[in-house]
Amino acid sequence: MNSLMSNMGLAFAILGAALAACLAGAGSAVGVGVAGQAAAGITTEDPNKFSKALILQLLPGTQGIYGLIIAFFCLNQVGLVGGTPADLSLAKGVMYFCACLPMAIAGLVSAMYQGKASVASISMIAKRPDQFGKAMIFPAMVETYAILALLISLLALIGVGGANI
Amino acid sequence: MAVLRMRRVSICALKKDQKPILEALQRQGMVEITNLDSQDSVFQKEDLGESRSQADRNAGLGLQALEVLATYAPAKTSMLDTFVGRQALTTQEFQSKEGQIQQSEEIARRLTELSRFIAEGKGELVKLTSQTDALSPWMALDLPMNFPGTRSTAAFIGSFGEELTLEGIYSKVAQAAPELEAVHADLISVSKDQTCVFFLVPKKDSSRMEEALRSIGFIRPSNLSSATPKEQAEALHQKMIGVEDSIQKAVDEITALSSHKADLEFLVDYYRLKEERYENAGRMLQSKRTFLLSGYIPERDAPALEKALTSRFDLSIEFAEPSEEEDVPVAIHNNKFAAPLEGVLESYSLPSKGEIDPTSMMSIFYYALFGLMLSDFGYGAILALGTGFLLLKYKNMDDSWRKNLTMFFYCGISTSFWGIVFSSYFGDVVTVVSRTFFGQEIVIPPAWFTPLDDPMRLMVFCMAVGVIHLFTGLGIQLYQHLKAGRYYDAFAKVIVWYMLVGGLIIYGLSTDLLLGILQVNFRVPASIGTIFAWIALVGAIGIVLTGGDSKNPAVRFAQGLYELYNVTGYLSDILSYSRLLALGLATGVIGSVVNQMGSMGGGGPLGAILFIVVFLFGHTLNFGIEVLGAYVHCNRLQYVEFFGKFYEGGGRKFQPFAAHTKYYKFEEDIHHE
Repeated sequence: MNSLMSNMGLAFAILGAALAACLAGAGSAVGVGVAGQAAAGITTEDPNKFSKALILQLLPGTQGIYGLIIAFFCLNQVGLVGGTPADLSLAKGVMYFCACLPMAIAGLVSAMYQGKASVASISMIAKRPDQFGKAMIFPAMVETYAILALLISLLALIGVGGANI
Repeated sequence: MAVLRMRRVSICALKKDQKPILEALQRQGMVEITNLDSQDSVFQKEDLGESRSQADRNAGLGLQALEVLATYAPAKTSMLDTFVGRQALTTQEFQSKEGQIQQSEEIARRLTELSRFIAEGKGELVKLTSQTDALSPWMALDLPMNFPGTRSTAAFIGSFGEELTLEGIYSKVAQAAPELEAVHADLISVSKDQTCVFFLVPKKDSSRMEEALRSIGFIRPSNLSSATPKEQAEALHQKMIGVEDSIQKAVDEITALSSHKADLEFLVDYYRLKEERYENAGRMLQSKRTFLLSGYIPERDAPALEKALTSRFDLSIEFAEPSEEEDVPVAIHNNKFAAPLEGVLESYSLPSKGEIDPTSMMSIFYYALFGLMLSDFGYGAILALGTGFLLLKYKNMDDSWRKNLTMFFYCGISTSFWGIVFSSYFGDVVTVVSRTFFGQEIVIPPAWFTPLDDPMRLMVFCMAVGVIHLFTGLGIQLYQHLKAGRYYDAFAKVIVWYMLVGGLIIYGLSTDLLLGILQVNFRVPASIGTIFAWIALVGAIGIVLTGGDSKNPAVRFAQGLYELYNVTGYLSDILSYSRLLALGLATGVIGSVVNQMGSMGGGGPLGAILFIVVFLFGHTLNFGIEVLGAYVHCNRLQYVEFFGKFYEGGGRKFQPFAAHTKYYKFEEDIHHE
C-alpha cells in the first residue's frame, strides 16, 4: 500500500502522457481517416489531384504528432525515457497529469473536426483545383486550437518541471 | 513591386493580315482580347465555332494518339520529369514541323485506328476463349456433335444439368421409358452442374427415346457442328493464334510509331494554338476588308507591341486609358525576391482596383515566419540545397514550378538562419552523437538562446513579431488611404487603432501584471506608461466616435462601442502568433526524440547502424510534416492576420492571348523579368 501511494505521482504523470498520445492520436486517426476516404474518391476521378488531396488529408494528422510531443516531453520530465524515474510527489504527478489534458482533449476534438473540414476542402478542389490555397486554409483554422493547446501543455509541463513540490 | 498599369489597346487592320497579326499577338502574349459586341451593318462578328471545334477535335486526336503510345509503348519517366519544362522551338523549327502536320495527323489517325483494332482483337480473343471453354466438356467425344447414328442405330448427344453417374443415367432412362431395352449410354464428362452423355439406341426406338429423354431434362448442345470437338477446338486455337498475331503486329506498329511522339506533341500544341486563335478571332469585329480588335495590355509592353506590329503590317493601333467602370484585369510584377510569392497572393486573391500589390511586403514576413516555424539548420539546408539543385539543373522549368521552388529556397535559407539562432541542428544531433559515440558531449551554443530553456522568451519574441506584422498591415492600409486622399479614413480606421493597441501594449509593459505573465526583464517607466495609457484612451474614444456610420447619434454611439469591441480581435490576432513558438518547439522536440531513439542502441557499430536508420527515417518524416505545417500556417498568418488588416482583393487575373501550349514553347516568347 505504501509503495502504491509513493508511486502514485508517477502513475498520474504517465496517465497524462498516455492520454495526450492516445486521445490526440485517436482524433488524428479519425480525421485522417475520413479525409483519406474523400481523397481516394477524388483521386479515382482525377489521379492528377493526388498530391493536393494528400496534403489536405495530412492536415488533421498533426494533432497526433503534438500529442506525441507532449507525451514524450512529459515522460522525459519525469525521467522515464532512458533513465530512472524521478521520485515524484503525488501533487506534482497530478500537476503533470493536468498539464497534459489540454493537448489530449483539444487534440482529440480538433482533429476530428479538422478531418471534416478537410473532407469539405477535398471536395472543393475536386471542383475548383485552382482554389487550393483557400481550400488549405479552412482545415488550418481548426488546427489553431490544437496548436494553442499544445502551447499551453508545453508551457505547463515546463512550469511543473521547474516547480519544487 | 506593383500592380502593372493597364491600357486599352485598339487595333484596326486589313483582313488579309488577320492571320499573321493574330499569330504575332499570340507569340508575344501581351494582349488580353476582349469581346466586342457593338455589331452594326458594317462590322459583324464572324462565327468561328465550327473551325474552333475542328481544331479542338484535332488536338483531341493528338492527345488520344499520345495516350495510345503511353499505353502500348510507354516511355521511361521519372519523378523529376515534372521539372523539365517545355522544349523551346525556333521559328524555323516551328515552320518545318508545321509542314509535316498532315503527316502527323495521319500518324495520329493510324495510332487510334490501331488501338481500336487491338481493342476489337482483344474482344475477339475473349469470345474465342469462351467458345473453347464451352467445348471442353465434349472433348472426350470423338464424333461430330451432329452425329445422327449409323444405319441401324440412332445417336443422342447432349447433357443433363446435374451431376450424374452412369447408373443414375440408366435408371433415369429406364424410369422414363421402361419398354426400351437396348439403350447404350457413354459418359463424356461429368462436372458439378453438368453431365454430358452419348446414347445409342436401335433406330426403331429413336422417337421413343427422344420423347423419354426430353421428359428427363436432356438438353441437346447448341453448337451442332459437323467437326469433332477436338477439330473444333483446334480450329479455334488456330484462330486465336491468328488474332494474337495481328494484335502483336499492331502493338509492334505502335512501338515503331512511338518515334513520332514529338510530332504528335507538336500536333496537339499546334491545334491548341489554332483553337485559341479562333476563340480570340471570334471576339473581334469584321467588316468586308478590315477587322477590329480591342483588349488590355500592360502599359510597359505597349511600345514593344506597337513597334512589332507597325513594322510588319499596315494598321492603326491606339492606346487609351481604360475608363472607370471597366473591369480591368490585374497583372502584378515583382522583383526576384518577392516574385515567388505571387502564387501565394494569387491563391488568396489578386488586388482589386486601387489596391496595392502586397507581395513584396509579404515576402519578407513570409520567409521570416516560415523559418521561425521550421527553425532547424539541417532542415533548412536540405530545403535550400534540394530546391537550389533542381533550379540549377532544370533551367527550362515551368514558371509556376520555378516560383514555388524559389520560394522554398528562400524559406530554406531563413530556416537555417533561425536554426543557428536557436541552436537546432537536426534537433540536437551534434550533442547526441558526440555523447553516444565519442563519449564527450559537445553542445553548439545558440546564437541567441535555446527555446526549450526559456520558452516564455521565445513566446514574447513571437508575439512581438506578430505585432510588427499586424502593424505593417495596418500601415499599408494607412498608406492606401493617404494615397487616395481619404484622410478621415486614415484617422478613423488606422491611426486610432495604432493609438489604442500600441498604447495598451506599452502601458502593459509598465505594469506588474503583464510583466509577471511574460517574465521579461524589460520595464517601461511608470511615467511613460501613464502617457501611453492616455494615448490608448484617446484612441479608444476616437474609435467610439468614428466607428459608427448611422445618422442617429445614439445608434452611432452603440456602433462605435461595438467597433471598440474589435480590440479583442487584436488580442486573438497577436496570440495567434504563438503558433510560431509551438511549431518551432515541435520541430526541435520531435527531432530530439528521433535522435534519442536512435542512440538507444549504444555506441558500438551496431548502435551506429541503428542510429543511421532511425535518423534517416525519423528526420525524413519530421521534415515532411514540419515543412507542410510551416507552409500551411505561414499562409494562414498571411491570409488571416496580415491580409485581414488591409487587403480585400477580388481583382480579375490578366490572361493574355498567348501560346498556352503543353509541350513546346517558342523562342520569341518575351519573358517578363
